[in-house]
Amino acid sequence: MEDGLSTPVGTRRSFFVKSTVFISSLIGISLAVPLIGYVIAPALQRRNKEWVSLGKTEALPIGEPKAMDYTMTEKDGWQESHTTKGVWAVKQSNGEVTVFSPICPHLGCGYRWDQQDRLFKCPCHGSVYDINGTVKAGPAPRPLDTLPSKIENGDLLVQYEEYKSGLAKKVEL
Amino acid sequence: MASRLYQWIDQRLKLKPLEQTLLDEPIPGGASWNYVFGSATLFLFVLQALTGMFLMVYYVPATDHAYDTVQYIQHEVWGGWFVRGLHHWGASAVMVAIGLHMLQVFFDGAYKRPRELMWIVGVILLAIMLAFGFTGYLLPWDQNAYWATQVGINMVGNVPLIGDFLVKALRGGETLGALTISRFFAIHVAFLPVIIAVGIMLHLFILRRVGPAGPHDETRAKTGSETFYPRQVFLDAVVMLGVFGVVALLAISMEFPLADRADPSDHSFVPVPEWYFLFFYQLLKYAPGAWGPLATWLLPALFFTGLLLLPFLDRNPNRNPSSRPIVLGTGLGFLILVFSLLSISLRDLYAVPKRDPSVIRGMALVEHFNCKTCHRIHGEGVNVAPDLSFVADRRPDREWHLQHFKDPQSVSPGSFMPKFPLNEKQLNDLTNYILTLKSG
Repeated sequence: MEDGLSTPVGTRRSFFVKSTVFISSLIGISLAVPLIGYVIAPALQRRNKEWVSLGKTEALPIGEPKAMDYTMTEKDGWQESHTTKGVWAVKQSNGEVTVFSPICPHLGCGYRWDQQDRLFKCPCHGSVYDINGTVKAGPAPRPLDTLPSKIENGDLLVQYEEYKSGLAKKVEL
Repeated sequence: MASRLYQWIDQRLKLKPLEQTLLDEPIPGGASWNYVFGSATLFLFVLQALTGMFLMVYYVPATDHAYDTVQYIQHEVWGGWFVRGLHHWGASAVMVAIGLHMLQVFFDGAYKRPRELMWIVGVILLAIMLAFGFTGYLLPWDQNAYWATQVGINMVGNVPLIGDFLVKALRGGETLGALTISRFFAIHVAFLPVIIAVGIMLHLFILRRVGPAGPHDETRAKTGSETFYPRQVFLDAVVMLGVFGVVALLAISMEFPLADRADPSDHSFVPVPEWYFLFFYQLLKYAPGAWGPLATWLLPALFFTGLLLLPFLDRNPNRNPSSRPIVLGTGLGFLILVFSLLSISLRDLYAVPKRDPSVIRGMALVEHFNCKTCHRIHGEGVNVAPDLSFVADRRPDREWHLQHFKDPQSVSPGSFMPKFPLNEKQLNDLTNYILTLKSG
């Protein structure tokens, strides 16, 4: 039979087999990389943290925790939504302001300020913190989480962050 | 390692006979570049299915979200523009591949007895692919999608007796809207894929039962045969790589931008169909008066009937092209007609003057200075200040705009438009763009 009209054998056959495998892998990889990246990328995107003004610091009472609203514009894929979180601000006598995340570091419940006992208390598992965020009782593994904050022109600016609960160290999510 | 794993599975599932059936099909006359078109079509179809699935990860088929989600895919998701580009150019490529595949079968007379059924299923597959193109075109919900689909659906309305009913059934109601996009989406991603998958399996099943036609030259066909694997598989793989390379290159180099968001009230928009419908679009321009409506449905109906009946109309068993002058002449005539119409149509489309680069820079300035936070332009932006969609109709005077951009209150007292820090070039670019905003 003339060349080309019989099924290739030996090294000629293995050349075709190997080339086919090579080409298929090449196409496969050139597709897999962009396609997988395309699906994964938004999941890996860090939240865009912005400084949000919570208002003038003058209005805050010294040494008294105040619940304040943190309103942020969140980009949720192709949608934009506005969410509000309540954070705790405590003004010190030197004028500086500490801002606590509203989430209990134990397991993520929302805690309250008990005016009578002058303590932050978490209703879920009984963690108790003083006005500086130090653990006073209960299962909490670390003090209350402070949020990055600064004062500019008398405005209290805060960046909202979330941290892993249940750890002795503060680890951002 | 891989071969030991294969052995392990083979001992249990007895794959060898299956492997032989799939790969050791004899090809009369040996492997050839002539036979790569079917595989290329199949490959592109798989590419469409794959990229389509990935587009669905972010796409939402609703009038109020579709456009935003496609914009999101195009501009924000990592690699989104590439996935969408592959799907867009893949759709065109699959049409080219089908065309070449059919031409090869037609030229080689491979549709003749005993392969009539394979041809008929193939023609149905072509119709399904066109339906894919038509339903997919609406999904981005931009002006082109909306108006081209409007025209396409109205053409169906010309079918006698059941036309009105068909139009309503396609739209899902009286108007093109929420119900249309959701049913087009369902058809595009669920119904058609299932139907075409069955069709492709049937096409391949018939191929395996009847066997490949081989060369039309009988002496060459008799010189022997070789199995499908490995050489034909290798040739197919080379072509698939080439086809993938071309589609990927097109996706990278020619971004397919969205038009404005679909605006049912904007009747000034002139839609253009996909290029594979263009010849027909052009043909309809020549259908005089009362023949127009007839042409919109009768010509496609005749075309598909002709294709379906081809193996029965052409009963000459001889496959050699040199002894089939009438059939091949008819085919050639059809091709000349299609390509002439296509080229006239493309020439007309490109005769529209290209956009001045200064206008494009001006357009970018509108985005840069966030003009659309007050002004609306073709459905985009807020209607606080005057709508600028057709501002040049009202104010064609160039000097006025230049002065207005420099100092708005000097020509428009009481206007709350701020003074923007524009240099001379930016002033010119912005004015050039503003002057293009007119109807017709």
